[in-house]
Amino acid sequence: MTDRPALRVTDVVKSFGSTTVLKGVSLELEPGSIHGLLGQNGAGKSTLVKIMTGVHGAGSFTGVVQVDGSTVQLTRPQDARQLGIGYVPQEIDVVEHLTVTENVLVGDLGSGLRFDRRAADRRCRTLLDQLGMTIAPRTRVSVLSAAQRQLLMIARALALTPKVLILDEPTTSLTDTEAVALGHILRRLAATGLGILYITHRVREVLDLCDGATVLRDGRVVEQLSRSDLTADRIVTAMAGRQVRDLFPGRRYPGGRTALSVRNLGVRPARGSSARVEDVSFDVHQGEILGIAGLLGAGRSELLAGVFGAVPRTGTVTVGGREVRPGHPRHARSAGIGMLTEERKRTGLLFNMSALRNITIGSLGSVSHRGFLDFAGERRVGRRVIGDLEVKTPGIHSSVEHLSGGNQQKLLIGRTLLPEPSVILLDEPTKGVDVGTRAQIYRLVNTLAERGAALVVVSSELDELLGMCDRFLVLAAGRLVDEFTKGDGSEQRILASIARVTPADEAITT
Amino acid sequence: MSTARSRGRGTRHRVLRVLAAGEAGVILALVILCVTFQLIQPAFGSAADVRAILSALSYLGIISVGQIILLIGGEFDLSVGSTAGLSAIVAADLMAHHDIPVAVAVLGGLLVGALIGLVNGVVVVRLRIPAFIATLGMLFVAQGATQVITDGQPIYPLPQVVSDIGQATPLFGLGWSFAFFVVVAILGDLFLRVTVPGRTMYAVGGNPVVARLSGVRVERYKIGAFVLSGTLAAAGGLFLMGNLGSGTTSIGQGWELLVIAGVVVGGVSLFGGVGSVVGGAVGMLLLQVVQSGLVVVGISPNWQTIAVGSIMVLAVGLDVWRRRLPDTEPTEQPTATAAASAPAPEAADRAATGET
Ligand SMILES: Nc1ncnc2c1ncn2[C@@H]1O[C@H](COP(=O)(O)OP(=O)(O)OP(=O)(O)O)[C@@H](O)[C@H]1O
Ligand SMILES: [Mg+2]
Repeated sequence: MTDRPALRVTDVVKSFGSTTVLKGVSLELEPGSIHGLLGQNGAGKSTLVKIMTGVHGAGSFTGVVQVDGSTVQLTRPQDARQLGIGYVPQEIDVVEHLTVTENVLVGDLGSGLRFDRRAADRRCRTLLDQLGMTIAPRTRVSVLSAAQRQLLMIARALALTPKVLILDEPTTSLTDTEAVALGHILRRLAATGLGILYITHRVREVLDLCDGATVLRDGRVVEQLSRSDLTADRIVTAMAGRQVRDLFPGRRYPGGRTALSVRNLGVRPARGSSARVEDVSFDVHQGEILGIAGLLGAGRSELLAGVFGAVPRTGTVTVGGREVRPGHPRHARSAGIGMLTEERKRTGLLFNMSALRNITIGSLGSVSHRGFLDFAGERRVGRRVIGDLEVKTPGIHSSVEHLSGGNQQKLLIGRTLLPEPSVILLDEPTKGVDVGTRAQIYRLVNTLAERGAALVVVSSELDELLGMCDRFLVLAAGRLVDEFTKGDGSEQRILASIARVTPADEAITT
Repeated sequence: MSTARSRGRGTRHRVLRVLAAGEAGVILALVILCVTFQLIQPAFGSAADVRAILSALSYLGIISVGQIILLIGGEFDLSVGSTAGLSAIVAADLMAHHDIPVAVAVLGGLLVGALIGLVNGVVVVRLRIPAFIATLGMLFVAQGATQVITDGQPIYPLPQVVSDIGQATPLFGLGWSFAFFVVVAILGDLFLRVTVPGRTMYAVGGNPVVARLSGVRVERYKIGAFVLSGTLAAAGGLFLMGNLGSGTTSIGQGWELLVIAGVVVGGVSLFGGVGSVVGGAVGMLLLQVVQSGLVVVGISPNWQTIAVGSIMVLAVGLDVWRRRLPDTEPTEQPTATAAASAPAPEAADRAATGET
């Protein structure tokens, strides 16, 4: 190992208009190490790595970027790539109608005019194997799940055989099992001398993976943690910016009337995907929080989408004794069901609208009078939601495009809750959300349940699911394989019931 | 955030928003153009000139309102020109050859437009044929139908009352068509700005999946917008027929491209979800001013189309550049490269038109 850091930034200052997002940040990444970059939503983590990767080009910030000890000017992402800096951005960014190979090798499809499809597929195959993915290189990306897309983005970064790999929240779409598998892969890569900068909000990943960590808060480095400093408590405190006691609010579900009743639910897999739901029945009661566990492709999101009517379904869904018509989410919505979807970019945000309009789009009826919008009322509602959820945005009229990932998520939660649904379906509610805000979301979920709402939560993080919910369903390959109430089971029970029906080597591949 | 501070920032914000709204740019460009023409040729801007520009604008303007709403809903209509032509011909045929009362014949013309819009909408939305193909097909079909009905001959004469209305100049020497255009534009603008369905239309064009998950019947909105576009196209054609006093087969020819060019100059995005009626209408006016201005300052009319094309590309280019200004780079870099090496509608969309 050399003494020279693989990547070093010094005194980086970056502003957008009049707001300064990075206020003099310095960071070093040793070759062969995995270094955590931690901090609250909006702390400036993504902005910092965009500087390291030429996305925010030289000239748009002040400070020095050094690769292998020599100062570099990165004006375009290509510059960073040529210097061996691989980058997996926070938002999944794939070209839907192209194949896996074309997406993985984008920008590097051989030289000259000739494009050797077979050679490219072979190269792609090697990269996919490295990540334990079994999908065919010719598969169209439009049929891939969020998790597969995320792995594909990592394969794309690895295609350049980089010396430095920067991963901005690479596990947000992965379940614990896949995240652990990815961790092994990263360890292997680090052992070959690769320096890895790793952004995450998951405490456990920092504990398992990182050799050290830098904590950002409001654009400044507030802490440098070495391996020995990395304890759960220190990390949580550092990430939240304060002590977080009782991440999960203590709760006891008192029992209530049936709010949502699902019978023999079936959802057919989307074209090219294998995730399905088969013959699933369950009830959720007023004031109850039901957690749904399972691996990638187990059909968890499909289950929620089926109940909500976002995809065609068989079987019946009943709310408060009344059957809900299938076919369109509006039937579910008018029955009092609300849903937060998993993929912010594809099924959540409206990039052509302001933060305010993104919040109210599902509740225009309540901010209008006889079909005419009540702008003052709409602003009031928007300010309330943004205030309640502490969404960090320059203003209610600013675009949602430049909000940090966690703040986009809070905004969408606000949209979901605005019509005050009595049955609330949450698909990965803490995706990309910092530790402090997670605690806030857990409290919010708890409060909603206490007020009598029935909640169904899908989460890839088992400790979160176990901490938050009253009862659990375990899905594997679209079927219900286990059900238990809080206290009767643990992570082991969930993993064991999945393992009984799924061969172990299918863990990451789907 | 204290209320006082947020209010202070609110005003500034509002000013910034007006400037960033896309309309400011095109209005400014229009003013500069007018001044330039005026300086070169002081005769430009005479009352007669303005009148000529505005009456020429009115027919296409009426059609542009439908096109703008449709574009904001995420689709577009290439058949508006031949729809205008066919509707006018059908109405002319009904009143001239079948002794149908003028009012009924006009209704018949409008109905033809609405029907064409409905067919476009159903083909695009239900059969999932891209609007470009579906409405291009309709362009030919409607044009062919016009030929079939007329055999290439103008329908003439029409009842006297038609030209009486078509050539009347009730306000400041401008015709009913202009009055109708103004009314339709104001209604369209109000619809998009202040009504629930108008706002919803932006969501439909911005991301139909999200709109559907928010409970919107996306297909209805799209089909509705197609019907509106067809109906307004018919209205534009009928007004011109009235003004000419005959059912001429050339009514509407080439209008589709002029309409799309005009509204794009005015900041309406071809990718949906972005734009306004005011902006689009000013864009239409701008193109009209350029065409008339060139004539007035003595440049051969043959140059007009070259000017129209260049201005459209320039306008969109300026728009892209302006949106990038505060940040000096597109926000989604990896996609930008992906978009460069392969067409990525989503990415290209946002790079080109992402609203500020
Ligand atoms: N292109 C931009 N224009 C304006 N403001 C921006 C832009 N990009 C980021 N910001 C702002 O900079 C701040 C830091 O954002 P950044 O995305 O770096 O946060 P983050 O630490 O990655 O947060 P998260 O954990 O939520 O992803 C945020 O307040 C964000 O709104
Ligand atoms: Mg980020």
